[in-house]
Amino acid sequence: MPLDTSTYNLALLRVDGRRWNELRRINAQIRTQAAADGSSYLEMGHTKVMCVVTGPSEPGPRRGGVVGSAGGAGGGGGQSKDAEVVVNIVIAGFSSVDRKRRGRGDKRTLEMQSTVANALAASLHIHLFPHSQINVSLHVLSQDGSLLAALINAATLACVDAGIPMTDYVAACTAGSTSTYAANDESADPLLDMNHQEEQELPGLTVATMGDSDRVVALVCESRVQISRLEGMLVVGVDGCKQVREILDRVVREKGRRMIDEGTVEKGTGLNDMDVD
Amino acid sequence: MASQTHLNLSPAELAYLHASLSLTPPIRPDGRSPTQYRPLSAETGILPGTNGSARICFADGTEAIVGVKAEVEKTRARWDDETIFLEGQEGDEGAEEDKEKEQGGNREWVELTVEIPGQRDDDSGTIFLAQMLSEALLADGAFVERLKINRGWHWKLYLDILLISPPLSYPLPLLSLTTHLALLSTRLPRLKSEGDEDPFFDDDWAAAPHLYPKDRKARPPVTLLVMAVGNNIIFDPAKEELAVADVALAVSVGDSAERTGKTAEDEDMEVDGRKLRLLSIRTVDPPSRLTPPGVPNATNSAYGHAVAGPQQQKMPEARAVESEAVEGVWKAPRGGAKLAVMGALVQKVLERGGVADEVLDALEAVDLS
Amino acid sequence: MPITIHQPKPPRPLLSDLDPYNPLNVHDSDSDSSTGGGVDLSLPPKKPTSSLSHSGIVTPGEVITSDSQWMRGHGTYIPASTSDITSSLAGTITRTNKLISVRPLRARYTPEVGDLVVGRIVEVQAKRWRVDVGSTQLAALPLSAINLPGGILRKRTETDELQIRTFFAEGDLLVAEVQQLFQDGGAVLHTRSLKYGKLRNGVFVAVSGMGGGAGVVRSRRQVWTMDAANGAGQVDVILGVNGYVWISKHVETPAEVEGKPAPAGITNMEENVSATMYSSQNDRIETETMREIARLRGVITALVENGLRVDEEMVVRGYHEAVEMAMLSGEGQDDVYLGGERGEQLAAALTGK
Repeated sequence: MPLDTSTYNLALLRVDGRRWNELRRINAQIRTQAAADGSSYLEMGHTKVMCVVTGPSEPGPRRGGVVGSAGGAGGGGGQSKDAEVVVNIVIAGFSSVDRKRRGRGDKRTLEMQSTVANALAASLHIHLFPHSQINVSLHVLSQDGSLLAALINAATLACVDAGIPMTDYVAACTAGSTSTYAANDESADPLLDMNHQEEQELPGLTVATMGDSDRVVALVCESRVQISRLEGMLVVGVDGCKQVREILDRVVREKGRRMIDEGTVEKGTGLNDMDVD
Repeated sequence: MASQTHLNLSPAELAYLHASLSLTPPIRPDGRSPTQYRPLSAETGILPGTNGSARICFADGTEAIVGVKAEVEKTRARWDDETIFLEGQEGDEGAEEDKEKEQGGNREWVELTVEIPGQRDDDSGTIFLAQMLSEALLADGAFVERLKINRGWHWKLYLDILLISPPLSYPLPLLSLTTHLALLSTRLPRLKSEGDEDPFFDDDWAAAPHLYPKDRKARPPVTLLVMAVGNNIIFDPAKEELAVADVALAVSVGDSAERTGKTAEDEDMEVDGRKLRLLSIRTVDPPSRLTPPGVPNATNSAYGHAVAGPQQQKMPEARAVESEAVEGVWKAPRGGAKLAVMGALVQKVLERGGVADEVLDALEAVDLS
Repeated sequence: MPITIHQPKPPRPLLSDLDPYNPLNVHDSDSDSSTGGGVDLSLPPKKPTSSLSHSGIVTPGEVITSDSQWMRGHGTYIPASTSDITSSLAGTITRTNKLISVRPLRARYTPEVGDLVVGRIVEVQAKRWRVDVGSTQLAALPLSAINLPGGILRKRTETDELQIRTFFAEGDLLVAEVQQLFQDGGAVLHTRSLKYGKLRNGVFVAVSGMGGGAGVVRSRRQVWTMDAANGAGQVDVILGVNGYVWISKHVETPAEVEGKPAPAGITNMEENVSATMYSSQNDRIETETMREIARLRGVITALVENGLRVDEEMVVRGYHEAVEMAMLSGEGQDDVYLGGERGEQLAAALTGK
């Protein structure tokens, strides 16, 4: 069913009623899982993913077989100087509208695994954990566009929960354009955070940045788009990443505050007393 | 809490566990009574995009999610169309072998997958789990019967079972309970067409009936993990308990109330309680058989004042030799289980007011949203 | 009732639509003021670099201070081309003199010299063992860092190397001390004390360690012997700083049995003790003792599940509370179950809420 983009120019509203620069609702939690080192749950609109992080830990002598085929980054092998980030994505058969089962060897899944692994490895301080492995296991429960972005965000949150040092949050979102490539519309506006319908019809890209900075750690564009539009899309995408970072940060702070209130974590030292000595 | 090395326990630990589980009554490491399950929290209907879904968390953090999706499928034309006719209309009249063929076809109406993190999907353990879970569903044909729409069409049901957490203990009970709940919450659109015409359905989701209607007694099957140490029978073993099991069984139980509940006479029976039916039993190979035995002090060269000297040195290989049972020394169980224990085990599951009964009651009480 | 099923706890609803902490719910809040034309940067104000004022949480990427008088410790880094000390973790700030570090809300155990740890042998190599202590790396226990049997402190021989598995084999549990740390953070253990060595006569339980959050905390005493209720004798508890816990029947050393100090000094005593040092044979344990050991294990798990710290004081208090609870309950003393609601009850009694 083709997406009707003709009404956009009238009301400047998208199919789900958003404006061009609006994110969908993002709802996230960390520490959803007592048994793991780190865990998170994240919704971007109707895209829902769960993440469980194990490690960093040194794989025992029983290497191989434990970790399935997965995209690795940051050096291979257990004896390297850096920790290895191993990402494993399971896309549940029930996650899309029509049930589709993807095996572990699915090319798209493999590519997403290595994109997430590379994006994380850019921020995580993997040099602190030689010989170790950080296992990131992602489960996709429901998909409605911006899947890769949601996976990266969930993985970041779970790594924060696992207490793995990192340079900054890796925040991701998607950006698109209001008209198709074929329309060749010079005045097309960029769009922020695409849902599934928009992703099917319109050109789009996924961008991930390191925290507040403009440093792009992952950029994936799988559709044809005029080069003149790309810059506008990228700017909107990077701006969206900053918004996403604030949301993720708020989730972490809220959890931390609650833990202090409950007394599970000691209060930190007030740093303004520092001036005393 | 997460540790990859939970699997190998030291001989001293194994000996202690075995000793405490062999007492009457057994003392379980977490203090549960022999028939008690780990406390868990459950919710259903968590995924609006599915026909039914459920999520269960154990207190130790292990977590599973199950989603059910249904599609309408054309029943494949058979070389003898009679079979279906016979099955539907006359039941027992259909010859035994016809029945067999029918079941073979029906099996394809349910597709069940299990995903365990860190394990390949063609891992033998995963396949075994999937096999046990689907076996329980398909065992008596009552389940696939529900998927029939009319002579030409049926529902094809996809069950996707995800273990979210790393597997801290053998996940069978968790996965089975979650699957049970997901099936309880499964709803299929209401049929608007009649007879054997091509089916069309009511768009109103609120009107969609449950696959297992609440007012009926019938319930999806549930698979219980039971193990025995000595003469003690222990339900829902944790990983360390399973590590000293003499024998472990996966027992699938169904509620056959509906099948017999056609006549008024049987209606009365139902009031008394559910009619539990044994659907299948599988032995699960307990890891205890692969554990290394402990070394009694008498043959331990590092024990006592043994001064290092090649002549007096007891051979290190001594630990591999099968020795007589010494108290306080772990020795892996050998051989099969006693028939009496196996009998008692199944009995304990099936008896009225027994564990299966109470588990089904508890699952029924979960709020289906 | 063999099974208890709860509704999920309200603090962590899985698919709740309510998120009061998310003012960026732009989709709902129909902000008519921002028209589609201008760039609507509804970004909250730039994160304050003066977060020093409150003692709350810092998160990754947050600048702690740009004052160069401070030194950066764990959990912080200085980005290239700046001198800002920046947090790399979500946690709370701690400082020791001029050293600023961030203590994570939760992380794996980081070994420190002198820590008492409980570990499990994962791998046996030619001259050392590799031990899982719940850290990011496996710890090493060199053959030269254990007490060899035979009483006297003797030289390590080739025979010992060949028989390395008779001391510790894969799966064995031991209690040891962190002797030194490698540059890369890996720990080296030693068991050259009578307090350390192979563990037997008890049960193991792994809880979260020193990383922060609930779990075992470093305290004055990690090992103690306590009197158990109901005529169960004495029970030893070893709380590894790494979160691995061992609860066992107290076995009296020969010196204690004789009721007098070891006569001929340290050598003789060592000789007596070392007899059982590498034994993997359990002593006879009374049913009562096993029951109380299970109760203690339940107390520790309940503490962790309810987010309380695990140290001597809490465990001893929790244990007495649990004994009392069992006495008052209908089940009597034999019931040692402390999961689920009972654990919550216990935690509530301990925190006085």
